[in-house]
Amino acid sequence: MMENAQRLQVSSLNTVGSSYGSCKTDGLGSDEFPVGLRVLVVDDDTVCLKILEQMLRQCSYHVPMPFGVKLYTCELKVAEAGTISILMRSMDRDKGVGGPNTEECWVHRNWFNHLIALKLLTFLSIVAFPKLNSDPICSLTTCSQATVALNLLREKKGCFDLVISDVHMPDMDGFKLLEHVGLEMDLPVIMMSGDQRKNLVMRGIKHGACDYLLKPVRMEELRNIWQHVVRKKWSGSKDFEQSSIEENDRHKRGGDDTDYASSVNEGTDASWKTAKKRKDTKEEEEDGELEDNDPATSKKPRVVWSVELHQQFVNAVSQLGLDKAVPKRILELMNVPGLTRENVASHLQKFRLYLKRLNGVAQQQGGIPSTFYGPGDSNAKIGPLGRIDIQALAASGQIPAQTLAALQAEVLGRPTGSIVLPAMDKSALLQASLQGPKGIPVERGVTFGQPIVKSQPNISKQFPQSSILVDDIPSGYGSWPPNNLGTISTAGNGGLHTQNGGNGSIPLSQNSSYSGNNVIDYGLLSAQSVQSHSSSVGLGQVSDASYKHTGGLNGYSVPVSIPPVSSGIVHSDNGTNWHVQNSTPNLSNVNKVPGIVSNACEIEGSYGLRACDLQDQGSARSYGFVGRGTSIPSRFAMDDFESPMGNLGHVRICGNNDGDIVKQELNMDFPENAKVGVPVIQQFSPNDLMSVLSK
Amino acid sequence: MRTAKLIEQCVPLSLYLINNEYVYKLLGKTGLPVWMLGLGVDRLRADMNRLLAILFHQGVLDEQFLQLQQLQDESSPNFVFEVVTIYFRESEKLLRILRDNLSDREFSDYAKMGIHLNQFLGSSSSIGAKRVRNVCVAFRAASEQNNRLGCLRALELLEHEYCFLKNKLYELFQLEQQRSMAAGVRYPAQH
Repeated sequence: MMENAQRLQVSSLNTVGSSYGSCKTDGLGSDEFPVGLRVLVVDDDTVCLKILEQMLRQCSYHVPMPFGVKLYTCELKVAEAGTISILMRSMDRDKGVGGPNTEECWVHRNWFNHLIALKLLTFLSIVAFPKLNSDPICSLTTCSQATVALNLLREKKGCFDLVISDVHMPDMDGFKLLEHVGLEMDLPVIMMSGDQRKNLVMRGIKHGACDYLLKPVRMEELRNIWQHVVRKKWSGSKDFEQSSIEENDRHKRGGDDTDYASSVNEGTDASWKTAKKRKDTKEEEEDGELEDNDPATSKKPRVVWSVELHQQFVNAVSQLGLDKAVPKRILELMNVPGLTRENVASHLQKFRLYLKRLNGVAQQQGGIPSTFYGPGDSNAKIGPLGRIDIQALAASGQIPAQTLAALQAEVLGRPTGSIVLPAMDKSALLQASLQGPKGIPVERGVTFGQPIVKSQPNISKQFPQSSILVDDIPSGYGSWPPNNLGTISTAGNGGLHTQNGGNGSIPLSQNSSYSGNNVIDYGLLSAQSVQSHSSSVGLGQVSDASYKHTGGLNGYSVPVSIPPVSSGIVHSDNGTNWHVQNSTPNLSNVNKVPGIVSNACEIEGSYGLRACDLQDQGSARSYGFVGRGTSIPSRFAMDDFESPMGNLGHVRICGNNDGDIVKQELNMDFPENAKVGVPVIQQFSPNDLMSVLSK
Repeated sequence: MRTAKLIEQCVPLSLYLINNEYVYKLLGKTGLPVWMLGLGVDRLRADMNRLLAILFHQGVLDEQFLQLQQLQDESSPNFVFEVVTIYFRESEKLLRILRDNLSDREFSDYAKMGIHLNQFLGSSSSIGAKRVRNVCVAFRAASEQNNRLGCLRALELLEHEYCFLKNKLYELFQLEQQRSMAAGVRYPAQH
């Protein structure tokens, strides 16, 4: 899976790079860069077309081809005495020598014509060869018809870097063209129009235009349009760069702290992404409403992209692969009556757009910690962590009302973010656990987030003997799919996993993808465990999901079959962790792993959620997951849903400490339907926690 | 009388279109217009500038036209002229459509008219025809309100502005042509 993802990233980078072809990707930063940018201008207004062309030419976006020559490679063969054969291969400049479009023709010359052939050869080599590498061959193409432009773009994929299109077109709406280009080619598109009405500009933005120029277009504006190409390129290769940077870091620094911090970033990134994603869905729905008011679109029935529908959509996309996903195929795969190709197309585009936005956010967040790097300087690391987590929480606090509404039935959302689980035996428990300060969940998040973070350095330093060796973690981490994938929710996993040494702040971030409630609970829990003995932290925070991959590594492996009772948080990541703790009464007897156990019993049971919720979480998860354009959406989640039936929890914890292998096998009996729920959380009201921690 | 005949003989017909008054005024001893002697370059340039200044002052043109002139370079020496020619061709087409639309009593497709007007607007503003552009904006506003009368009035104004612009621009091009021809006249270096 990891290789897959990396390949994906690489290939996307490649396509970006190759679309630059002649203008040399690595020369982006050089002085010459915008020279040779390939621009397609689409406008039905020939006057504008002509002016624009001239302007772009003067911006040296266009370097005219000398005389429309094709480039040839020539192979000379003297077949027999008196005959000379020349193999001429046309060079397709986009595909290089021997590309699929290679034309070959043999030119036979008899001896008599040898001279001519030689002349031809020298001519060709003079004309053609110097052009091969040196000349940025590019063209500025103008087009007065949108359909022609679209065909051109389709035919010559990768031949253009930028499209400038008029809004009004006789044969096709400019926005339509924009949509097509966005979906099929993923090129930056600039809209232009003499019409400056706000709703038009808004429409342009909504359809994914990267800029909106007002006519008359001025040179000053055109001089700068290359930035959109660069932006596009960077956002495309971002993941790749980021992961490679992280890998470098890992190789460079062996120190616990640094690795540690990088994994922290990972976790926070993920939480950010999930939070952001939620926001995006919200925006999207608002968009939908907005569009509804728009007179141009009001005729069509509005499609509500519910979570289920979106899930289907995402599954379809992941099945096809993000790069190959075209609306028609998606529609076929989704097989939803009443859904039109246009609906899917526009949704796909939005989807792509906000994936991009997510990338952007991740990138920004990723950038922060590096500035905080510094061996031994643990406080600095905490700064961003605490802050981001809080943000994530804040975001998650907003969400439930909406997402839960979409999920319907299973969970009722309240504006405060508290959850009531209907018709559940454990609902009372939950209620109880919710009884703490019923304020805004965000605040709770804040209070918990920080103490946890504070305790972090203690853990890694004071309890090095605890079963988690920070060194080990990253090694597992390096080859660990979720991280490298950078997928949203699995990235969360990665963060969680690698952060084991650290603290429980990760669960916080993951919870952000659920609802305010869970956040609080986990926060408490992890805070609790941290507080009791920080060494507890490492224990069993390996997820089910990760288990499959980490099993062979020297990390931990915690296969858990989840008992019905605690099936609650089968979100695979947390599942194990909390199970271990849920089952602690038994665990504590059997397990000699330091720290955790003693307190765990107090924590027990506060995490009852029903399997049906799991389903939702799973979907939410994979939804985020696929969001990053990778495959294997909800496998983990599904695995776990099976497990609630099992009564036996089997936990094996292998800690690899300084080469010392500690293996502990725990066999736990989970009582059938046991009322694991003892709402102890109340005991640890924020205040208590705070006071304990602050002492 | 005699000089006029001379001009007729010397000047090819296409160039003879240049029938400004001062061509006659500037006749030299040779009976040829001064620009043919390559002497009136500065004067012609001054004339052009004056005309441009007047057009700017009247709000017929705006700085976009200057930008157009700056775009003209050796790769396309006649750029402004070509663009403006295209503009006249296209906008006449559009004006005809608009006129046809409005003269049709049952006409009701104001949305389509809006698209035409937008195009007119775009191209006018692209060459810097400010007054035409302004009339277009008014026209569009009227068409958005389905105000047929307002549209008709705006159309008349538009046609008027358009004709004015066309005349003035042709005048400008004539001056430009003379200037370039005058600049092109070379005498062998004198020793």
